[in-house]
Amino acid sequence: MIATPQPRLGSLGGQYRHRLGSFGGLGIALVVWALYAVYFSPTQGWTFFLQLSVNGIILGSIYALIALGYSMVYGILKLLNFAHGDVYMIGSFIGFGILTLFGGALTPVMPVVLLVLIMFVVAMLGSGVLGVAIERFAYRPLRNAPRIAPLISALGVAFFLENSALLLFGAQYRNYDGYDLISYNGIHLGGDAGVFVSYLGVIVISSAVALMVALVCLVRWTRFGKAMRAVSFDREAAAMMGIDPDRVIAKTFFAGSALAGAAGVMFGLLFSQIYYLIGFLAGLKGFTAAVVGGIGSIPGAMLGGLLVGLVESWATGYLNGNVSDLVVFGILIAFMLIRPTGLLGSPALQKV
Amino acid sequence: MAEATPPPADAPLPATAQIGVDSWVSEADERQARHTGLWGYVARGWDRLPPAGKLALVTPAILIPFIPFVSSGNLFNYGIFILIYALLALGLNVVVGFAGLLDLGYVAFFGFGAYTYAFLSGTHSEKGHVYTHHWPAELAIPVAVVVCGVLGVFLGSTSRRLLGDYLAIVTLFFGQAFVVFTNAADPYGITNGSNGLANIDNLRFSFFGHAFTIASVRAYYWFLFGCVIVVLVLLHLLSESRTGRAWKASREDPLAAEMMGMPVNRLKIMAFALGAMIAGLAGTTFAAAQTGAFPQNFSTQVLILIYAVVILGGAGSLTGMLVGALVIIVSNQVLDSTSPPQLQRVLFYLALMVGFAWLFRSSWKKLVTVVVLTIGLGFAVHAVAAEWWPRGIHGPVTSGGFLTGAIKHWVLLPANSGRLADYAYLLAIILAVALTQLKGWWRVAIAPFLFVITVFVWENLLILQPAVTRYVLFGALLIALMATRPQGLFGTARVEIV
Amino acid sequence: MLKRVGAIAAVAAAFAVVVSTSAWGSAKAPARSAAASKSIKCGKVRTIGVAAPLTGPASSIGVQQLHWAQYFVKRWNKAKANKNQQIKIVQGDTQLGVDTAFAVKVAHSFASNSKMLAVVGPAGSQEVVASTSTYKGGGLGWVSGSATRTTLTDGHTDGNRNGFFFRTVPNDSVQAPAVAKYMTGTLKWKRVYIIDDQETYSQGLADGVQKILQAKGVSVTRNSISQQASDFSSVIAKIPANTQGVYIPWQLAPQAQAFGQQLKAAGKSHSALFGSDGLFSPDWKIAGSYDSFFPVNTSDATVQGFVKSHGGDGQYFGAPSYVAAQVDTLAITKACKAGHGKTSRAAVRKVIAKTKLKSSILGFPVSFAKGGDIHSPASFGIYQIQKNGSFKRVG
Repeated sequence: MIATPQPRLGSLGGQYRHRLGSFGGLGIALVVWALYAVYFSPTQGWTFFLQLSVNGIILGSIYALIALGYSMVYGILKLLNFAHGDVYMIGSFIGFGILTLFGGALTPVMPVVLLVLIMFVVAMLGSGVLGVAIERFAYRPLRNAPRIAPLISALGVAFFLENSALLLFGAQYRNYDGYDLISYNGIHLGGDAGVFVSYLGVIVISSAVALMVALVCLVRWTRFGKAMRAVSFDREAAAMMGIDPDRVIAKTFFAGSALAGAAGVMFGLLFSQIYYLIGFLAGLKGFTAAVVGGIGSIPGAMLGGLLVGLVESWATGYLNGNVSDLVVFGILIAFMLIRPTGLLGSPALQKV
Repeated sequence: MAEATPPPADAPLPATAQIGVDSWVSEADERQARHTGLWGYVARGWDRLPPAGKLALVTPAILIPFIPFVSSGNLFNYGIFILIYALLALGLNVVVGFAGLLDLGYVAFFGFGAYTYAFLSGTHSEKGHVYTHHWPAELAIPVAVVVCGVLGVFLGSTSRRLLGDYLAIVTLFFGQAFVVFTNAADPYGITNGSNGLANIDNLRFSFFGHAFTIASVRAYYWFLFGCVIVVLVLLHLLSESRTGRAWKASREDPLAAEMMGMPVNRLKIMAFALGAMIAGLAGTTFAAAQTGAFPQNFSTQVLILIYAVVILGGAGSLTGMLVGALVIIVSNQVLDSTSPPQLQRVLFYLALMVGFAWLFRSSWKKLVTVVVLTIGLGFAVHAVAAEWWPRGIHGPVTSGGFLTGAIKHWVLLPANSGRLADYAYLLAIILAVALTQLKGWWRVAIAPFLFVITVFVWENLLILQPAVTRYVLFGALLIALMATRPQGLFGTARVEIV
Repeated sequence: MLKRVGAIAAVAAAFAVVVSTSAWGSAKAPARSAAASKSIKCGKVRTIGVAAPLTGPASSIGVQQLHWAQYFVKRWNKAKANKNQQIKIVQGDTQLGVDTAFAVKVAHSFASNSKMLAVVGPAGSQEVVASTSTYKGGGLGWVSGSATRTTLTDGHTDGNRNGFFFRTVPNDSVQAPAVAKYMTGTLKWKRVYIIDDQETYSQGLADGVQKILQAKGVSVTRNSISQQASDFSSVIAKIPANTQGVYIPWQLAPQAQAFGQQLKAAGKSHSALFGSDGLFSPDWKIAGSYDSFFPVNTSDATVQGFVKSHGGDGQYFGAPSYVAAQVDTLAITKACKAGHGKTSRAAVRKVIAKTKLKSSILGFPVSFAKGGDIHSPASFGIYQIQKNGSFKRVG
């Protein structure tokens, strides 16, 4: 029989029984892993484990923001937007452009707080507009085409964006020098030899959380959020109820792409070097996060992002930088085969 | 497509849908599209040709471009790559075109074939392990093909539970996992990491006591040519057979096919396996011809190229694969930093003329108007710049043959074009997108500006980085094809049954 | 029926074609080596190729190499005595750090360029390994100004390129001891963390340094990252807090810069960084870091002329490529004279092997050993990055 999963956007309440199973399994796996890592693995100790976990959470917030964009678009259009990673890359370049415009990381011409705020706002706006443009010109003509067509179009858009960035910006790495801009210092948890969280990391986590909270409020408590949920549930019925699906879809793309732009700026600040290919790998990881959490589900995307960040950090720390990507991909493939709807996705419906 | 009651081609459509001829009515749009103009004439003639005739026509078409390019360097660059990509496209056609499965990890099979052959036919040592195998090709190639087939079965078996998008995801990650596996993971030094496997043997055959080696570029070319012919014939026979028809049925509606007794799951696995084996064959020969296999030879860029070939040619059509390979790979190799700029110019202006003709194919009056306006606008802008901004026209021009003089007098060539060219690029994209939304004489009004700016961007930005330009063009080609003609040049238009 | 017959006929024809490639194959097998001894007319303008990473993350060093090679050719072409023996450069962008396959493509295009007589480059050791068979097949000799992996010239480990490959820099069997000596002698480090970037150049150097340090009783831990990595937080978390130095023999300077910043941000900036010749680039500016680099005689008049004509920017990474271009040019000129206006790539290679320059901008005479290594008396120099980003020699 054919199983066609019908995930729903933003079902933030209900169906706890189904969720309990996934949460339970996840919780047990995490506890077992933590115990093994701290007491039995070759590199033992709570400090190392916690340090890696903190790094993983920081990384995971970025992946969560990207995953949110994927989930929202899939929920509303049933389309995997491969170009999302490249919107993230463009966002980071826009942020870099603003940074350079206002003097650069070492000699900013305005207070750092204001500069960072402007970087975020402009990058989010720019990425949002780019996302809307992509939807309008690459996906809207294909609303009624076979499912394969928008996927290939998405591949084309991704390729186009990557190489346009290469053409316009060149192949050399650009440096945000984020630590020079903000601070090299941070919080030492547990004394000098304990876990170190840089101030930049704290900023990244808090802004990611703020954005996610804003999104949840948008989806849950505004009329637009209700329209978004309606269109993702049944587009034709929503149209009959007086909601314009085209506008709602465009605004959804804007929101998702703006989040990706913010993630791009965060990446630049944290890891400094940006170039035209960062969108590809980050897109894959964000994608994994969306699928693991349950594609189409917003809390799922956040959870998935966190998990992917943690797993990648642990894999790099305990195994090897080489295989950490393989581990992440392996988790994705395992989820797809065992539980395609992810952790928080709705259970699969049968096509009759 | 059987036409039950074929009225004369110019008869008007019936006013109301008639019972019993509804299928004919529903195909009316497509017939209309086919019957108009020169292209319709050609398309109808092509449809009437028997397959052998089609093959006979296409084969010289592959060979003709190479008569002037007889040097081994060009034969390697053009001929061998066209044949390799034709093979790859034929294999992907089985998965995407015949069986309708979206396989985004296809390039991993290409890579497996190449790496298996490279491993079995060379020496390398890494991480303390030394591997020396020098298997003859008649052993190495079948082993590589079979390994790819097994992998295809493995990947295909995941399609049992996954449909459409989810299958695309899994295959995409499989492809990525392959790159990471060969590049970084590299257990026991099998793949030699990011350095790749270099200096591998050429193909050494020994049949019935007579041994020969395929070493020169020409020999590889003919060997690949033979492979393409064999695979072409095989796929043609297959597509006309029960299996082919079953594939097409399961592509259109898997549920109905299952009801009709076709083993849909097994068919999917077969499609994956066959596609993988063809890719493996292409991989072995590619590795031998390049005398090496490197991880980035099997990256997503190659995947997009293969997809561009398949989509342009038309998924499901065998001749389309060959023609698509010809067009895409010639463009790919011409727009390369090692190619002479004259050739790149010729290609660009040819493509521009095709663009003119396609946009205004409905009315030759509009076409002529646009051409005249464009040329006039170019001269006007050049004259204005000569008056008020002399630095704008005396910049460097990439040398290239007979067109250089004409270009110097028609295009703005600022001395320091960097920023201006970037903004012009963005402006060109915006105008191009706007143009698709306009109709009629509005289009005629905007088009000259678009073309002048496009030529400006080409001369000042794109021709300086041809290797990147080609990927931009291929991405745009995919988007445009999907939006306007998803069936490509030779494919058949499909309607998704919801 | 007709279809079947047609199909079978096509298959038979294809099979015949495939089999007939045997005639092509065995007859054409010498075709590749024939290119080496094919006679090329010298004419007034002779062609050499420069293969370097002109774009991509390693472009800062590739562009330096190109500039120095162009500087030599400009000076050569200006001399009155060389009016009828001018040199032309054909560039090949190998995009080191993006994909080794580009180096192979450049090699193919150089080998099939019928006018090309010799090559300067490529820059990276992995590119040399990958493009060996192509260059050898084309019979070209190539002189690299930066590929330092020791096994490139030993004739068996990565392939045999004796008589084809030469380099105007000392190899890592000189660099590794110099680095280790400075670490243990001057810096007196006892705990060192080594990270390589998984490329053959980096691994070779890291292995060499690790062996010597361990023999001297220094405690060494080894790790690796990939050239595509940008998040080093987990690797940095693994570095013990009491590490005195982190040795990073990488090829991509921007990556080293990001690593240094993340190291500092993790609160471990007391561990000093030590790089290698691949990082001798303005893109790496972590003040206080050390770097080993080839010897260059900065008081040489030619070097100072270059610095002046390039706005005070020394671009010293490319200086050995000047010598490489010099070696190529002199060999071509000599071979053309000996062949009375006609020569072949094999002849040029033989002349390169017998090069004897009494003096060079490197500060010592140039001649090549049997495997292609340069006879160099001087050792590698150790530099330290100053606060303004410039490199100052300290050892």
